[in-house]
Amino acid sequence: MRILTCMLALAGALPLPLAGQVRYSVTFGATGGTALLRDRIFQDIEVTQTIAPTVILGASVPVSRRERAGLEVALGFAGSRIEESGFPTTDGPGFRTLSVTFGVEGPLFSQFTYHGAAGLMKYLADDEEGIFRQGGPLLLVLAGGVDYHLPIRGPVGLVARIRYDYQRFSTDELRATGFTGTQDVHRIGLGLGLEYPRP
Amino acid sequence: MTRAHLPALIAGAAIVASLACSDIGAPARTSYYAWRLLVPYDSAGPRVDTLSFHWPRNALPVKIWVEDQFSAPDRVREGIALWKPAFLYGEWDAKLVGDSSAADVIIRTVPPPSPSPAALRFHMSFQSCSGATDIDTATTRRQLRVPVHSYIDPSLPNAPDFTACLRTVVAHELGHTLGLFQHSPDSLDLMFTDPTVDALSDRDIGTAVSAYHYPANMVPVRP
Repeated sequence: MRILTCMLALAGALPLPLAGQVRYSVTFGATGGTALLRDRIFQDIEVTQTIAPTVILGASVPVSRRERAGLEVALGFAGSRIEESGFPTTDGPGFRTLSVTFGVEGPLFSQFTYHGAAGLMKYLADDEEGIFRQGGPLLLVLAGGVDYHLPIRGPVGLVARIRYDYQRFSTDELRATGFTGTQDVHRIGLGLGLEYPRP
Repeated sequence: MTRAHLPALIAGAAIVASLACSDIGAPARTSYYAWRLLVPYDSAGPRVDTLSFHWPRNALPVKIWVEDQFSAPDRVREGIALWKPAFLYGEWDAKLVGDSSAADVIIRTVPPPSPSPAALRFHMSFQSCSGATDIDTATTRRQLRVPVHSYIDPSLPNAPDFTACLRTVVAHELGHTLGLFQHSPDSLDLMFTDPTVDALSDRDIGTAVSAYHYPANMVPVRP
């Protein structure tokens, strides 16, 4: 919430001519991803993440005739599942992901635009237990995606988004347990958003 | 960005994706001692059965009733807090309950009575207290009769080390109740016959984790 407040404050503090060109967006969607962790204790264990309802707030300003640069704050509400061969699948700790990314966007073709960004993602565990016993990690995240701007009239635009991000996952608890390296995690999100003013 | 840039963008993304497919390195977990229950039986000649037990996930948290004397409930809470972090995937958890009729484990602060013929007893002694846990495998050997009974014998309750003794003994007996049905041969482990430590060693943790991922061939049953 503090990040969101700062973002809005920054947007409000923009010089007036620039502030007039700020485009705001809010997107609701769902994000799914690959396994957070693979382990083996007599048999294979996999910690997967559940589909996360996600809300994304964005603001961008033009940086050239065609490109815009902006900031996105995404909050996802996920859970984890522990799958082990020969054992019933159980729920792992729930968590939220909060990411702040800076990126650029520009036209691809027709009503499509591209989006590329980098930033930070924080895992906020609902309970400090299991793999999050020592807290959730703060990770570098690389993101990309494509937006489709629906051809509608009016000052508010409707946009369908597909977002991809990549991160290298680990936690302090995993390192303390003896895990080495990181788990590559890929996530895909789909969403429907509003943007003002529309392109 | 133009259409001409699109192939380069896709190619770049594909390269990044192909490079980014590595898994985290899991620890080897080779440090553990024997924990399975060895049960002699003599049908068709003397034999030994090797039995493995862990509480099923749908039985968690394990319900523990403890007699409210000598601050034993506090020591049990400490014991739970000691063992629970050993499990990365929530394989074991326990809580205290007020009704012994609903308990999976009953801990009494009295000298252990004579064990029933079907029960195997694990006994350990310390300076000012001792402990014992009875594992009753019932007649089929494939069933663990619950509640599991543990006993904390406060032999010298006024001794200066009594609280520390209770802490160690309770944690040790909890180790038996969670499925460690043998003693460690290493004196630096909490599950050593007469432990000198009150913390879990890497071997204790490795053994507990192994017990909860090794397929169990005993199930808890209520009479």
